[in-house]
Amino acid sequence: MWFPFLFLLVGIVLGLLTDIRVPDEYTNYFSIAVLAALDTLLGGLRAHLEEQFDQKVFVSGFFFNVGLAAFLAFLGVQLGIDLYLAAVFAFGVRLFQNIALIRRFLIEKDRIKKHNEKNDENKRILP
Amino acid sequence: MNGKNKLTLSFIFALVGFMIAIQFQTTQNPEERDTRDLWEVRTEIQEQQKIQQELYSELEDLDVMLNQYEGKSETEQIDALKKSIQMLEKEAGLTEVSGKGIAIHVKPMFQEMNMPQTYPTLAPGLLQRLINELNNYGAKEIAIGNERITNLTPIRDVNGYTYVNNHPLPSLPVQIKVLTDNPQKLQEYMKVSQSRDEFAIENLELSFELREQLTLPAYEEVPPLNDIKIDENVETGES
Repeated sequence: MWFPFLFLLVGIVLGLLTDIRVPDEYTNYFSIAVLAALDTLLGGLRAHLEEQFDQKVFVSGFFFNVGLAAFLAFLGVQLGIDLYLAAVFAFGVRLFQNIALIRRFLIEKDRIKKHNEKNDENKRILP
Repeated sequence: MNGKNKLTLSFIFALVGFMIAIQFQTTQNPEERDTRDLWEVRTEIQEQQKIQQELYSELEDLDVMLNQYEGKSETEQIDALKKSIQMLEKEAGLTEVSGKGIAIHVKPMFQEMNMPQTYPTLAPGLLQRLINELNNYGAKEIAIGNERITNLTPIRDVNGYTYVNNHPLPSLPVQIKVLTDNPQKLQEYMKVSQSRDEFAIENLELSFELREQLTLPAYEEVPPLNDIKIDENVETGES
């Protein structure tokens, strides 16, 4: 399970080392894309914990969400409406939901583990 | 999760990390491009060198003063102190100064028109522009009427009257005295200056007169230094 996180770190280090910068005009689109990527990441993590992870859904979701978010921002600029707010709102809400679900899941898991340990101890004492 | 799954997931994670890192970098230190061409850089260097020269000469003067202060006898120290006070007062415009320069007469200009014409007044904005231009062309000291222009002189509109140093200007004609090292040059500059046109729009005429001996009045009040604080930051310059 720690393998992907190792890659996340590798990606961050690689990004910091390469010294690539997005031109000023595209920073808006890129920031939205980053938000979408983060959302997909957390969604994938949650699905994995719930054992519903589907690679196809995850990969397609990642690219589609990132593209759609950037496109929405672009469309908003062309039409003069702050459409990127829609993306920020949607992804923001989902981010919080996903994090909440992951937290609940972890707490639940911990509780079950402790409960099992107690049962084991009881079993050992009884005979 | 099988191995292939894990690999794709890891790849996506790495991609996200990469994106976050780039975004972080972009927001932390946005790209600043140096778009100056060779000549602009050269003039910049020249300007900086000029500033450096000026600072050096200033430093020299201060060193001399410091030596005087450190001189042995007490009277010498007091003399040096008095001298520096005098110098500072002169610099701040608290003393009368005289020298060569030009006198600018501001007179109303009457045109032969059928329309009734009002008596023109000297607006603060015009005066400010004129002073800027004079300073640009090498003016050392300026006085408008009887008011000496210092670094802290306010020029503003109070109820329709123009106030300089918090005193109203007399009605036109007004004389502006300017001290400079090269009066001839300043006069020629001013004869073709933009201010002349700007004054003409307001029905004001500027005429210039060379003077070998001009005396400028002193700034009479105590300079308003209430809001000025000592800068205690240690300045660090490039070595």
